[in-house]
Amino acid sequence: MDLELILLNFPYFVSIILFSMGTLIVLTQPNLVKKVIGINIMETSIFLFFIAVGNAHGGIPPIFDPQFPDALYVNPLPSVLMLTGIVVSFSVTAFALALIVKLYIYYGTISAPNFMKLK
Amino acid sequence: MDTVARLPFYCVIIPLVASFCMPVLARWKKEFCAPLATLTTGIVFILTLVIANHVIQGIPISYSVAGWDPPWGIEIVVDSLSSIMIILISGISMLILIYSFTAIKHELERIVTGWYYTAFLLCLSGMIGLVISNDIFNMYVLIEITGISACALVAAKGTRLSTEAALKYLLLATIGSGFILFGIGFIYMITGHLNIFFIAEELALVRDSYPILIWTTLSFFVVGFGVKAALFPLHLWLPDAHSSAPSPSSAVLSSLVVKVYIIAFLKILFIAFGLEIFHETFIRHLIIVLAVIAMLSGSFFAFVQIELKRRLAYSTVAQIGYVFLGIGLGTPWGLAAAMLHIIVHAFMKTCLFLCAGAIAYKTGRKHVNEFTGMGYLMPITMGAFTVAAFSMVGIPLFGGFISKYGLALGSLEANLPLLILAIILSSLLNATYYFPIIGQAYFSQEEESENGHGKRRFQRDQIPNSMLVPIVIVALGIIYLGIFPGTVLHFINQTVTALL
Amino acid sequence: MHDYATRVVFRYMLLFVLLYGVYVVMHGHISPGGGFSGGMLIGLGLLLYILIFGQLWDTRFRQMILDSAIIFVGIGGILEVLKFIIPHEHGPIGVPGTLFSVGIISVSNFGIGILVASTILGVYYMISEED
Repeated sequence: MDLELILLNFPYFVSIILFSMGTLIVLTQPNLVKKVIGINIMETSIFLFFIAVGNAHGGIPPIFDPQFPDALYVNPLPSVLMLTGIVVSFSVTAFALALIVKLYIYYGTISAPNFMKLK
Repeated sequence: MDTVARLPFYCVIIPLVASFCMPVLARWKKEFCAPLATLTTGIVFILTLVIANHVIQGIPISYSVAGWDPPWGIEIVVDSLSSIMIILISGISMLILIYSFTAIKHELERIVTGWYYTAFLLCLSGMIGLVISNDIFNMYVLIEITGISACALVAAKGTRLSTEAALKYLLLATIGSGFILFGIGFIYMITGHLNIFFIAEELALVRDSYPILIWTTLSFFVVGFGVKAALFPLHLWLPDAHSSAPSPSSAVLSSLVVKVYIIAFLKILFIAFGLEIFHETFIRHLIIVLAVIAMLSGSFFAFVQIELKRRLAYSTVAQIGYVFLGIGLGTPWGLAAAMLHIIVHAFMKTCLFLCAGAIAYKTGRKHVNEFTGMGYLMPITMGAFTVAAFSMVGIPLFGGFISKYGLALGSLEANLPLLILAIILSSLLNATYYFPIIGQAYFSQEEESENGHGKRRFQRDQIPNSMLVPIVIVALGIIYLGIFPGTVLHFINQTVTALL
Repeated sequence: MHDYATRVVFRYMLLFVLLYGVYVVMHGHISPGGGFSGGMLIGLGLLLYILIFGQLWDTRFRQMILDSAIIFVGIGGILEVLKFIIPHEHGPIGVPGTLFSVGIISVSNFGIGILVASTILGVYYMISEED
């Protein structure tokens, strides 16, 4: 593989690695709070991916300036979409934490193997 | 025309606004929540009927939200599939809300009543939006709205098991939507568009440049929607969530929520990616193999369970297998059968879960070996249960028969006649776990000494009318679909000709 | 958090945090910023205030904050939805430094700010009411 290709597409590799790490953490960690952290890592990797897609090399922030009508702008749409993604991630985290608080009241622990048995 | 074009958008907005009125209303007067929620759903149901009346003439409705035209703005498109799905969603939700007038008081604590209706209406608006939206990122947002509020519907009961099931559902569903979002990112990277029609145009041009990326994208979508719709190896959250939720929630989760994800998957697979990619790549075989495993093993696991609601939940896994089989076949009859099965299964599972809830409400029995004499104690409920179970097995004159027959025709069309064997085997397994319940309910001899009098007589079901009426309507709907499937098939055939 | 230093420092900081939040909300429609980030600042500022000083309040008052948070989420949501209900084709581009120069977008921006700020407060109260 070409080294230059890897360097140019660096964010994509990082986001894929983070995504795999996040998924692994959610699926394998016994601690529920760590599972929530895993979900946050996973979603953040997706945000990184989207913003890397929207980036243009040498682009400037997309605020229209009449002095430079044909400047190279960064694509603002993925960033705006990720704002929505952040809101979604926030609400999932809040809801999961609320459920974990409730489970802690029932069981006195936040370690999953103690109660998530196969039925 | 302009007024009609705006109606689908109001179908999403009205429940959304009403859902945020619920908790405020619940602080003031708790009794008003249920009627207001039902009224809202009724208004949406009438709107969907008007829309369908317009769409049946063959012209899809399209509307750009806030006046921004498609490449940039969000577009709403109601074709014949979406129109029949929104009728189904709002109609079934309305029946379930009528059912929950008394059931919710019985099953939930008083303090969460307002929040329950908030979650329900949010879920309704998310589902309707997901079916009619034509913008894939908007689809993702609506998927999340539906998913989170569905988790809230499970957690509303507040018991140990339901909280646990809700957390499991939330974590796995978030992984699923993460995969979907990554897939959307890949699509945006390949095509630079988010609108499904524009993606289809662009993909047709650049398809050959990205062969591997398209495979990756498709696999991400299959995993993501597979988790969301409980395709077999990814179904782990479903039995817990569906069995520990309150009965009305189980009904809406099992009959509607898992289905709307399939509709979204169908739209992305057939409209955005197009038929050529579908037939060229491995995706078709993957879906067929997973679906066959789901049909057989879902039925087998259901056979092992002794708690009624868990048995029904595993049965849902098997039925999702049928739907995915129809999609994987990709022939006209296969697709039509898949869509028909989505509709028929919505009726059947609603009926079964509502009956299970009614039986638990009256007698407190929850296990399948406790049904002795139930046919005499609650004849109308048990009759509806029998109708739905017969339809589930696939006996002629009931709705389930037609979709299974269509699936068999579809597998002949696709030149895979061995699949008929799998369909028959799964139907037989269905029979082995539904018929003992019915047999025990009507023909068991054990309970005579308990009752005190030798001959058992039919007596009237002692459950409130608000629970009885939805059950009867849904059961009649199953029979109607079995005898006169013409109207529904007309809508479905329009869709199939548009897709293929 | 009965810490003397936090109390004294934050007593002076709060006003600036809120002011900066309002500034970001007001500049969202024509320049970097926006309802979401500004609302987040306002919400977190209020949340920090409650975390530091709020242990003294009784439950009745907390309940009132929760109720008003829900109502404000509703108001903000309706203001935001206005943007979708009223078609504004291709509205005015806007003049930097003028608040209501972009029509309905600026109203929605305020709605988003209110919504986000009260959502954060509401979520905090809902989780902390559990025990």
